[in-house]
Amino acid sequence: MSDEEHQFESKADAGASKTFPQQAGTIRKNGYIVIKNRACKVVEVSTSKTGKHGHAKCHFVAIDIFNGKKLEDIVPSSHNCDVPHVTRTDYQLIDISEDGFVSLLTESGGTKDDLKLPTDDALLTQIKDGFAEGKDLVVTVMSAMGEEQICALKDIGPK
Amino acid sequence: MHMKMNPMPWRTELLIFESIGGVLENIYSHHIPQLIAKIEIVFHLFSVNCKTSALQTISGWILICSWFEAVELLLFISIIFAIEMNGGPGNSDLGQLQATMQAIEIACSSIQINVNPSAAEATLLSLRQSPRPYQACQFIIENSQLANARFQAAGAIRDAAIREWSFLSPDEKKSLISFCLSYVMKHASSPDGYVQAKISSVAAQLLKRGWLEFIAAERDGFFSEIQLAIVGNHGRDVQFTGINFLESLVSEFSPSTSTALGLPREFHEQCRTSLEHDYLKKFYCWALEAAQSVTTAIINSDTAVSEARVCSTALRFMLQVLNWDFSNSGRVVKNSIDVYSFVAKEDSNSAYTLVQPGPSWRDVLITSGHIGWLLGLYGVLREKFSCKGYWIDCPLAVSARKVIVQLCSLTGTIFPSDAGHSQGKHLLQLISGIIQWIDPPNVIAKAIECGRSESELLDGCRGLLSIAAVTNPVSFDELLKQIRPFGTLSLLSALMCEVVKDLMIKDLDEEPWSWVARDILLDTWTTLLTETNSPGVKLLLPPEGINAAANLFVLIVESELKAASASEDKEDYFQASVAAMDERLSSYALIARAAIDVTIPFLTGLLSERFARLHQGSVINDPTTTMEELYSLLLITGHVLADEGEGETPLVPMAIETRFPEYVETDKHPVVVLSWSIIKFAEQSLDPNMRAACFSPRLMEAIIWFLARWSSTYLMITGEMQNYRNSVDEVTLLQMQHSRKALLGFSAEYTQGKMLLDIIVRISLTTLISYAGEKDLQALTCYQLLGGVVRRKNICAHLVTLDSWRELAHCFTNERVLFSLNASHQRSLAQTLVLSASGIRDSVEANKYIRDLTSHMTTYLNDICGKKDIKSISQKPDVILVVTCLLERLRGASSASEPRTQKAIYETGFSVMQSILKFIEVYKDESAVIYLLLKLVVDWVEGQIIYLEPHETALVIDFCMHLLQLYSSHNIGKISVSVSSSLLSEANDEKYKDLRALLQLLQKLCTKDMVDVSSATSEEQQTSISQVIYVGVHIVSPLITIDLLKYPKLCYDYFALLSHMLEVYPEMIPKLNHEAFGHISGTLDFGLHHQDEEIVGMCLSSLRALAFYHYKERAGGKDGLGPHATSYKDANGNFQDGILSRFLRSLLQLILFEDYSMDLVGAAADALFPLILSDHGLYQRLGNELVERQPNSIFKARMASALHSLTTSDDLSPSADRSNMRKFRKNLNRFLLDVRGFLRII
Repeated sequence: MSDEEHQFESKADAGASKTFPQQAGTIRKNGYIVIKNRACKVVEVSTSKTGKHGHAKCHFVAIDIFNGKKLEDIVPSSHNCDVPHVTRTDYQLIDISEDGFVSLLTESGGTKDDLKLPTDDALLTQIKDGFAEGKDLVVTVMSAMGEEQICALKDIGPK
Repeated sequence: MHMKMNPMPWRTELLIFESIGGVLENIYSHHIPQLIAKIEIVFHLFSVNCKTSALQTISGWILICSWFEAVELLLFISIIFAIEMNGGPGNSDLGQLQATMQAIEIACSSIQINVNPSAAEATLLSLRQSPRPYQACQFIIENSQLANARFQAAGAIRDAAIREWSFLSPDEKKSLISFCLSYVMKHASSPDGYVQAKISSVAAQLLKRGWLEFIAAERDGFFSEIQLAIVGNHGRDVQFTGINFLESLVSEFSPSTSTALGLPREFHEQCRTSLEHDYLKKFYCWALEAAQSVTTAIINSDTAVSEARVCSTALRFMLQVLNWDFSNSGRVVKNSIDVYSFVAKEDSNSAYTLVQPGPSWRDVLITSGHIGWLLGLYGVLREKFSCKGYWIDCPLAVSARKVIVQLCSLTGTIFPSDAGHSQGKHLLQLISGIIQWIDPPNVIAKAIECGRSESELLDGCRGLLSIAAVTNPVSFDELLKQIRPFGTLSLLSALMCEVVKDLMIKDLDEEPWSWVARDILLDTWTTLLTETNSPGVKLLLPPEGINAAANLFVLIVESELKAASASEDKEDYFQASVAAMDERLSSYALIARAAIDVTIPFLTGLLSERFARLHQGSVINDPTTTMEELYSLLLITGHVLADEGEGETPLVPMAIETRFPEYVETDKHPVVVLSWSIIKFAEQSLDPNMRAACFSPRLMEAIIWFLARWSSTYLMITGEMQNYRNSVDEVTLLQMQHSRKALLGFSAEYTQGKMLLDIIVRISLTTLISYAGEKDLQALTCYQLLGGVVRRKNICAHLVTLDSWRELAHCFTNERVLFSLNASHQRSLAQTLVLSASGIRDSVEANKYIRDLTSHMTTYLNDICGKKDIKSISQKPDVILVVTCLLERLRGASSASEPRTQKAIYETGFSVMQSILKFIEVYKDESAVIYLLLKLVVDWVEGQIIYLEPHETALVIDFCMHLLQLYSSHNIGKISVSVSSSLLSEANDEKYKDLRALLQLLQKLCTKDMVDVSSATSEEQQTSISQVIYVGVHIVSPLITIDLLKYPKLCYDYFALLSHMLEVYPEMIPKLNHEAFGHISGTLDFGLHHQDEEIVGMCLSSLRALAFYHYKERAGGKDGLGPHATSYKDANGNFQDGILSRFLRSLLQLILFEDYSMDLVGAAADALFPLILSDHGLYQRLGNELVERQPNSIFKARMASALHSLTTSDDLSPSADRSNMRKFRKNLNRFLLDVRGFLRII
């Protein structure tokens, strides 16, 4: 087991890597997968065989986590697939600019101003209204393979 | 009356309306809507008299206006109509009846042409719901030319009468029934069959509703007319109608087909018993007489005659009676097969029911000779099939065959106890008729190929099945010998052979006749060969029958092999899992076991032939066909050699134990030879080259499945032979015991058992390591094979000493390749490995073994938690993969806790507590990991909680509370969004699963109060579980929204926890803060109106607990629910009732006005009584309101007296003790029966 730990330690600083290989058979529903170079969430996995006495294949149905498009892929279950490195970071919302960008407070005290407001209407109104009411809002930003998007919102303001 | 007294105004009004009509016809029609308002006013101004003419006029307008205006007019008519109907009884003159009829007719025809159906439906509904619409309905039925209107009117009579039954006078009740009956008789020749059927079913339902009130003479009064009709005095049509009425009557009285009447189940049962006891036999005789009376006419004609219709209806009715679930039957005959296949059979082609009507039916069914008549009739019919009027599938022929087949299932006390003599005679008579349908099989099969209908053959097969169900194999076989040179078994086998032959050449997708026939015949074999029916160890079948079975089995295997090699291109067919074929294969196995001494060597031969072929062929050509054949053979062999244990240890099949007395040497025993050849073959898969060439994943699946099945029956089995002492002589018994010993000696603990176990473990390891990504194969290995092996303690003792097992454990902890196993397989493997510790005798050793197994998990998890940059590295996919794998493994290990090894598992879990909390924090957005963490804690707590010492309990509870708080702080108020709706619903699903796990955690913690085996004395400072639950509910309840409660499982868990909590720890309720309490009462309110009966039941018991607690506390001079129960002012300054008062209101509302199952009345009474006692003042107010709300004094008086007797009758006293509760239940039942009928329509 100790071999394994070392392996991770050596990789700990190589955070730049955007995807990792993983055996197709181990990718589960609700896990992530890269299909056609897009980061996706798996919503359905089924297995079938190549011919009756052949090997198993996995059939993935997945949804692009950024644009919601459905993608499918078939991979022999002993082969490797790419799995995206999906991270989520919480920021406090400090401002909404006129042109639809948000200003976020990072953990280190700096600001992050390159994110647009989400396109989703419900979230949009919630952010705008909440912000206008002066609530303390925390947004969660999901990022993978060089793309970023606000994916959740939480009100931590005083009641 | 009015018309005579006051003729002039009537004319004037008519004139006015006609002139309006004239206006409408002339003026452009879109003015109508405006006019309607005026018409309405005009209408109200005038007296009742003109309504008829007004309606007539309006209906005239409808014809000329557009659909849009027609809608308005229809609505208007329905308004008029509603006013009309509410006018109450007494003022219905002819004109008004006609008006009603017209309104209904218009509504009916507009529904048919689909013009504004909702308005039309409203009109029809107002008829159904109006009080006492009988006169109008009868008028419509008698006078309307429109069949649909008559149909609707009949339905309205039914609805109204059932609803108002308790107000109708006895004469009214009877007159309604006789109206319906005489109507159908009078119009027997009417072409609108569906109206006739409806009216006669209304008569049947009303008759049933009043069944227990009518005295015998009254019932007989109705039936005497029916009898006259059926006898045939009034012509064929009336005869037909009479039988039809009986048909609907009997189906109403049979509980499974009856219509709901809003009455308790008891009522239906009483009706059923009464009908069966007093009338059923009479009805049968009437139908029989009717059928017999028309026989001559049928026999003498070659074309279809009306008599044939009467006859087939009568036969259908007789069949219905024979299908009646006779109550005195007392299941005497074998409960065929096991429960599972029996359930599966319900919807198959071959279901049979045993007919056990008891001795009172003997004269009618047995001695009356009507079987002879029936067979004769069918015999004549068969000759007429070539004629024009009759054919093999004509209704008469079909019903005749069905009755014949049903008569085959006749059994029980109807036959005198003469050692089966008279039953034999009865069956012989039937089979001599049936035989013509199926013998000779090859000729008939050929005829079917040439286009003859197969239904006669199939019915013949069903007949055989029915006979098999009531006889044993020997008498079954004897039956035919009396009239043919061969036995029934030979015929059965020959028939099946034809069927199998036909199946081999057919495309199965089309479901050919032989498919159906095979199912029926296989069921016949199964029924015959099921061991519970056998006369002990003596040969199950006569020698001739054994030969037949052996031949059949050879043919079956041949056909399966052919299917296997042919199905290469059709992937889907065999893709179906092993389990899907199970049922069919176990029937095959029964046939094989009947001739076991032939079939085992036969299978050995087939298998070794293919093993050899695979070896040679592996170099030259494609081995796929051979592999597929082996796949089928392995499945068949597995079924023949061993039974499915379903969690228990299966016994060695009786045939195998007893049928080889001459083999007393282990190596020569045919079963040993067969088993060993397969295991030897399986062992070759360990060689990498062989594996690559010959062992496809699919073949390995069959091998693993076989090994699992074989090992649970034969591997290291101890124990005695089954008891056959009574049935064989000493010498044979001794021989059998020797032979059994030889058989089991092959795989016993002291002989080669350990070596075989070693082979099995090594093969398992290979499938786990060398067949990467083959989930099905690995699932079989983990669950069936390894899971089955560690279930037995004596095997575990050997297992832990094996090098191969240690190697498996070593691979598990060290090999990276096992991380790629599917998550649930990880879990199961961990569980299996931990369970095998029960084989280590020394408990210190055992605990050490577990620690060694689990230390790699805890070390890694703790290690990664300790890292500084955990936040960033934890998100990497490879770290997530390892973490989830290890958590799954921990979960598996946790669920394997046993008293002896509990300590080690507790320590394992304890050591990762802090890491788990850390993971909850860092993975808060990784729902899959969160769920896994929660499930791990649930499983661990479940396994540990009852053993924990007080200080450990405190630690664990503290940990759980921490976990709950952490989870809640991450999730409360959080809104997830996604562009994809399906991802969003996934997110909801995840939330639901998490919450369910949290609720389960609370439930598990609750069990500490119920079961506790720790060494703590009760005096020690135990953590108060009620306190824990109290905190837990505070944390969890805000997370549970009404939307989430729409998930049935979560809803169930939540209310189960809530009702448990309220019943066991009601004292914590007053301590809850207002918000939490408000939340609980809100969900209770939601649950009360849930559609699931069980949920409502749980809510009612929660309510009962609440109210009861409050009532008791108050009686003791305490505060009870305190502030929650008193009324208060809410934030808006509105006055709000206390919680109990609110529930009293809503519960009363529920039980009086809403729909719910009658089964809940008891629970509702239990909740209502303490509620009433707690706030008697409010109850009285509500009661008064109810009384005041009634529209007239009759209802008011009824309501008041019903309310009065609800709380006083049966000496009910106002205290909530057990006897009072019981009385109140009864009172409430009576109360509801009394008042719900009229309350619900007003």
